[in-house]
Amino acid sequence: MRVLFFAQLKDVTGCDRFDLPLASPVNSDQLWAMLLEKFPRLADHRSNVRLARNWEYAESGTPFTDLDETALIPPVSGG
Amino acid sequence: MKIDIQLTDAPIVIKAAPPPERGAHGVLVEFQGVVRGGEDGQSISALDYEAYPEMAVRQIRRLLETISTRHPCLAVRVIHRLGLVLVGETAIYVGIISRHRAEGFALLSEFMDRLKQDVPIWKRRALPALTALADHSPDAPVPAVSPATHSAIRSLDEAISGIQIHSHPLVAVRLPLAQAFGRVLRETVCAPADLPPFDCSTRDGYAILAEDTARDFRVVDTIHAAGWTPRQLQSGEAVRVATGAPLPCAGLRVVMQENVERQDDRFRIVRPETAANLRLRGEDLKAGQTLVPADTLLHAGTLALLATAGCVQPLVSPRLRVCHFTTGNEIVPPDQTPAPGQIRDSNSMLMLGLLKRFPCDLEQNHLPEDFETAWARLDLNRIATADLLLISGGASVGDKDFTRPLLERLGFKIIFSQVNVRPGKPLIFGVNGSRVAFGLPGNPLAHFVCFHFGVATALARLSGGKPPAFLRGRLAARLENPPGPRETLWPARLEYSGGTLQLHPLAWASSGDVTCFGSASALLRLPANGGSLAAGSEVDFLPATAIMDA
Repeated sequence: MRVLFFAQLKDVTGCDRFDLPLASPVNSDQLWAMLLEKFPRLADHRSNVRLARNWEYAESGTPFTDLDETALIPPVSGG
Repeated sequence: MKIDIQLTDAPIVIKAAPPPERGAHGVLVEFQGVVRGGEDGQSISALDYEAYPEMAVRQIRRLLETISTRHPCLAVRVIHRLGLVLVGETAIYVGIISRHRAEGFALLSEFMDRLKQDVPIWKRRALPALTALADHSPDAPVPAVSPATHSAIRSLDEAISGIQIHSHPLVAVRLPLAQAFGRVLRETVCAPADLPPFDCSTRDGYAILAEDTARDFRVVDTIHAAGWTPRQLQSGEAVRVATGAPLPCAGLRVVMQENVERQDDRFRIVRPETAANLRLRGEDLKAGQTLVPADTLLHAGTLALLATAGCVQPLVSPRLRVCHFTTGNEIVPPDQTPAPGQIRDSNSMLMLGLLKRFPCDLEQNHLPEDFETAWARLDLNRIATADLLLISGGASVGDKDFTRPLLERLGFKIIFSQVNVRPGKPLIFGVNGSRVAFGLPGNPLAHFVCFHFGVATALARLSGGKPPAFLRGRLAARLENPPGPRETLWPARLEYSGGTLQLHPLAWASSGDVTCFGSASALLRLPANGGSLAAGSEVDFLPATAIMDA
């Protein structure tokens, strides 16, 4: 699965994308666990970050699969 | 509801309203969010926006569709800037067309609230206000010159696209039509009426009913090119018409005067014809169709079209302000005799001539070789108002080369400082807000080459026109391209012979050669690593003369 980081999360992770191989679908808690293992500093931001799956905000309970494009969306500030 | 969403790194033009719904709408609500001069109490010069573009476009569309179920509108256009947006520039534009103001306002208000919550666009950073140019006093501290670290070499394509991305169209102006020659049209002009505006005759002759089977006719009226008298014709009646004259009613054809025998107010058709000899109303162009699209270079033909449409104050590119500096102690003015080791300055004249094609105010000066002396001599006010800054020479890495540090001290961000092309490798390109700068290698041929792929691209973009493009042509003679790691732009003469355009390669050995560009009218694009090309081979080339501009 491709995971994208934006704005300050790029500074936190040091990259703007990351390939996370998934053998089977995971829920958002499992996904976070994997991300935090790789990028522990994301923990400070978790409460503010929304997950997006294939360009839509993910509902709770959404399964993430290896073919998805997932993005971590920190608080937005457009306009 | 029609929805148009754009994320762009180019300034938002003022005339961005969505296309009108003919007859249905009563309201256009427009909103522009402009970057303020202060962010969190700090003076800033610009905001840097970032987006997750695929998702941002989807979310904006989703929001508009959802909100418009409660506040139905006819059309919405949303444009959001990305990248650096200077203070005073528009970061977001929303245009809404609706039947009444209530739903337009409601949609706008709710959309902006939701955008700031849900659309993945971020103000990535605020750039502090620049002081180097804001304060022109000689004692003002200037930023330290940074070492030339990011000297990443760009391929020719990367360099051209970098110039295109970082050069933005300047704010357009309205000019009297008669002064607009050579400018780029910055609005699409549509036909305000059908062209031609009425059915008219293409011959001197007689208008009769299209289906009239009579042979003998009575002339009941005369219409000249400038007049019009409506009349419903009957069978056997005819109206004398001149070429270009409007016809008196619909359903007619014109009989050429050569094909009738006339006596007093009567005539007989002696040679029947099948042609109707008419130009019908709207045959050329229907009202509302595009007459001249935005980004068109205005020349005689397009100016005439605008005149036809009554567009007497077209929105066009502004006159560009260009500052050109030559550098180097080896250069003397053309009217002086060079001492041993010196040469006459030819680049000033070359640049002056090359820029003649572009409406611009050019100021040329020479800078001494010592950095601080040169800096002290610069008219910073003048430079601060130049849209395009050109520095000839001083672009390579010799001890006395100072173009890059000079541009950096002037606040320019260096986008690249080398291009993998020969000649012209040490080309520097920098941006400072809406202003762009080039450091051109001093050799005249390199100048010539860098102008055509680099400076001309920036000029076209600043004007809002189409950048120069490579064309395809045939070699008139065999060409041996010596091996080398770089692409080559090889000077050639474009010649029309034997019914086709032929490209004659010109002899040159180094970028210091000057004789070849005396006749160069094209630059052949040859791949790296050399090789020979037979006569008749197809090659890409960049026209280097105005004759190919069409």
